Amino acid sequence: MNQYEVLNKDKHRQLRVKTGYGAALGDAVMHVMTYPMEFRDIQSCYPILFTKDSNTGGFFAAAVFGFESDQNLFLQDDGWDAPYIPALVQRQPFLIATGGEGDNADPKVSLDLDHPRVSQDEGEALFDTEGNATEFLDQKIALLDKLHRGLQHGSGFVDTLLRHELLEKITLDIAFNDGSKQSLQGYYCIAEERLYQLHGDVLESLNKAGYLQPVFMAVASLSRMRDIIERRNRLRV
Amino acid sequence: MEDRISRIIIVGGGSAGWLSAGVIAAEHRIDSQAQQPFELVLIESPDVPTIGVGEGTWPSMRTTLKRIGLSETDFIRESDASFKQGTCFRNWQSGSGKGDDDSYSHPFTVPIGYADSNLVPHWLALTDAPQFADAVTPQTALFADCLAPKQITTPEYAFMVNYGYHLDAGKFAELLRKHCTEKLGVRHVKANVLQINAAENGDIKSVTTDCAGEIAGDLFIDCTGTSSLLLGEHFKIPFQSRQQYLFNDTALAAQVPYTEENQAIQSCTHSTAQTAGWIWDIGLPTRRGTGHVYSSAHISEDEATAQLLTYIKDIAGDRAAASVVPRKIRFQPGHRREFWHRNCVAIGMSSGFIEPLEASALVLVELAAGMIAEQLPPTRAAMDIVAKRYNQKFLRHWNQIIEFLKLHYVLSARDDSPYWQDNRAATSIPEKLGEQLLLWRYRSPWHQDAEAVDDLFPSASYQYILYGMGFKTVPRHTGSYQQDQQQRQAVELFQKNAARAAQLQQALPGNRELLNKVREFGFQKL
Repeated sequence: MNQYEVLNKDKHRQLRVKTGYGAALGDAVMHVMTYPMEFRDIQSCYPILFTKDSNTGGFFAAAVFGFESDQNLFLQDDGWDAPYIPALVQRQPFLIATGGEGDNADPKVSLDLDHPRVSQDEGEALFDTEGNATEFLDQKIALLDKLHRGLQHGSGFVDTLLRHELLEKITLDIAFNDGSKQSLQGYYCIAEERLYQLHGDVLESLNKAGYLQPVFMAVASLSRMRDIIERRNRLRV
Repeated sequence: MEDRISRIIIVGGGSAGWLSAGVIAAEHRIDSQAQQPFELVLIESPDVPTIGVGEGTWPSMRTTLKRIGLSETDFIRESDASFKQGTCFRNWQSGSGKGDDDSYSHPFTVPIGYADSNLVPHWLALTDAPQFADAVTPQTALFADCLAPKQITTPEYAFMVNYGYHLDAGKFAELLRKHCTEKLGVRHVKANVLQINAAENGDIKSVTTDCAGEIAGDLFIDCTGTSSLLLGEHFKIPFQSRQQYLFNDTALAAQVPYTEENQAIQSCTHSTAQTAGWIWDIGLPTRRGTGHVYSSAHISEDEATAQLLTYIKDIAGDRAAASVVPRKIRFQPGHRREFWHRNCVAIGMSSGFIEPLEASALVLVELAAGMIAEQLPPTRAAMDIVAKRYNQKFLRHWNQIIEFLKLHYVLSARDDSPYWQDNRAATSIPEKLGEQLLLWRYRSPWHQDAEAVDDLFPSASYQYILYGMGFKTVPRHTGSYQQDQQQRQAVELFQKNAARAAQLQQALPGNRELLNKVREFGFQKL
């Protein structure tokens, strides 16, 4: 289970955070959420597909790493094999808490104390002995800040896509070299035919919202599917 | 063209009127100003309350709602709707009072492999067989834990197991009214019809109202309920009683509160047989709807009320039973001789009503509206041909409903009252059903039994009732060339079904949990 707490320099003075990437650090995930401002970086490495939150049924954009639950084909013995690592992976074990109303609505840096990266004796320190944030923590806070702005900017993205019927279901049946087959279910992609029929005023509104470029980035990202199929084929079975 | 159909008048609101209006308006896109093919007016009396029978639907309602462009999320939120996956019958076989032994289900999902394989002979050959429905569909495994037919991630109107709805008929009609008038271009006139005016050729020319003047039309749809103002009163189309087959003619309806706020919501309608009828029990998100439908010739109202109150005491406690005031509804089981006469067609209770067993009322409205929408003649000249076909088709539907409902009664071994004995009297059994019962002693119902592709009840439904009620079909001894292969296939299908049931039990949320999520988040459209 997760145990979230708002970061506090007294309470969490001694905590350390393990760096690097690996299954033991919680990185063996099939996909991770992404947001439009990140699409340009994501599409250079991963396919961007849309999927549903199992709790709310709501859509979100995701960078896809594998073909089955817990499969991350970018994880190698010595780390994460890609030039760009999604912000929602890099930010672990931190997150921004925005709970509360009015005065409490300020975003607060929080962390998941039960995350495998959180340690008492191993990894990077968060605070120095005087209680000042370390450079490591400052970097993470800057990342969270960027992430927070990105999520806010992208909060209307999926609804906009749905309103213009720009999402469609995609079912991928893939046969790997070892003879095994996998069907990728529960994913959606940009409905290209609809996209190319959009009229000027809709295109303009998408562009003004900063959503037009990400839509095309998501379309282009599907070429990265070839790469993860190759990665799957190289796996020793 | 002189006789073009340019104006359709629906007389009567309620779910029949508004559902018909919605289906016809959506099919013809009468909201688009540019090419409006005809005008659709619904005249609703501000004084006549709707009867609100028919709180259960078939899975067909999903298709109908989608067709008229309603979102499932809005529908569920505003009609106080829940998911219905079939019916569970208790005490119908022996009436021993031990509900668990005397219980079977008619789920909405057809048996596994139904397109190609008839599993009945293979099920009959099993020793230690589970109940028929449990062996051939994963759906009944969901009933005990009150599980939903889908997840919040399943798109609207799609399913993991087939489902229809339980709903609040009053709220449903209200939602349809709003949708029809605001989105679909239906004109709503609130007025009482005082008089029906005939044209020279004998058609209905117009209706005179108390506060909206005279309203003329080319086709009139009679949704006036049991009063059947147009078809019955004006055209004098006789009513044909079918009470010689199905005796029930009275219902006592009562709303029952849940005993606790988060009480589970049943996945199916519960139908519990009594000494002279049966009690329905359906779970809505905010309350339960119960009622006793019975034959007034076989039991007094006091006794029928007492049985209903005993049931309510059982499910909701003494306090609930003490505070309910059952509402009495009398009806004559039967239908009009014709349903479409000249330029007038009756839909809903104005065309007929048989007791609520198997919830056939709303599905008939859907079918009627669907056929009118699809086959609407563009001219008066073509109308008589459509009317003739419509009458043949709906007479077939009524006959099948009567035969299928009667099947539930004739198979009972209950001997505790004249009602059940009378139900088995040869004179009370429709001829065709009598013939079928004889045939089914030697072979099970199968696709060839269907009279037409649009039969309301497929052979699967007959299988569920027959073998749920313990009917004996003598196994056939002469095997076909493929017998071994078929047997192997059947075993595989039984195993596959059991595996699917276990998987669904894991994956599906409870009805209440899912309905709460629909309220909070809604279903996605894809």
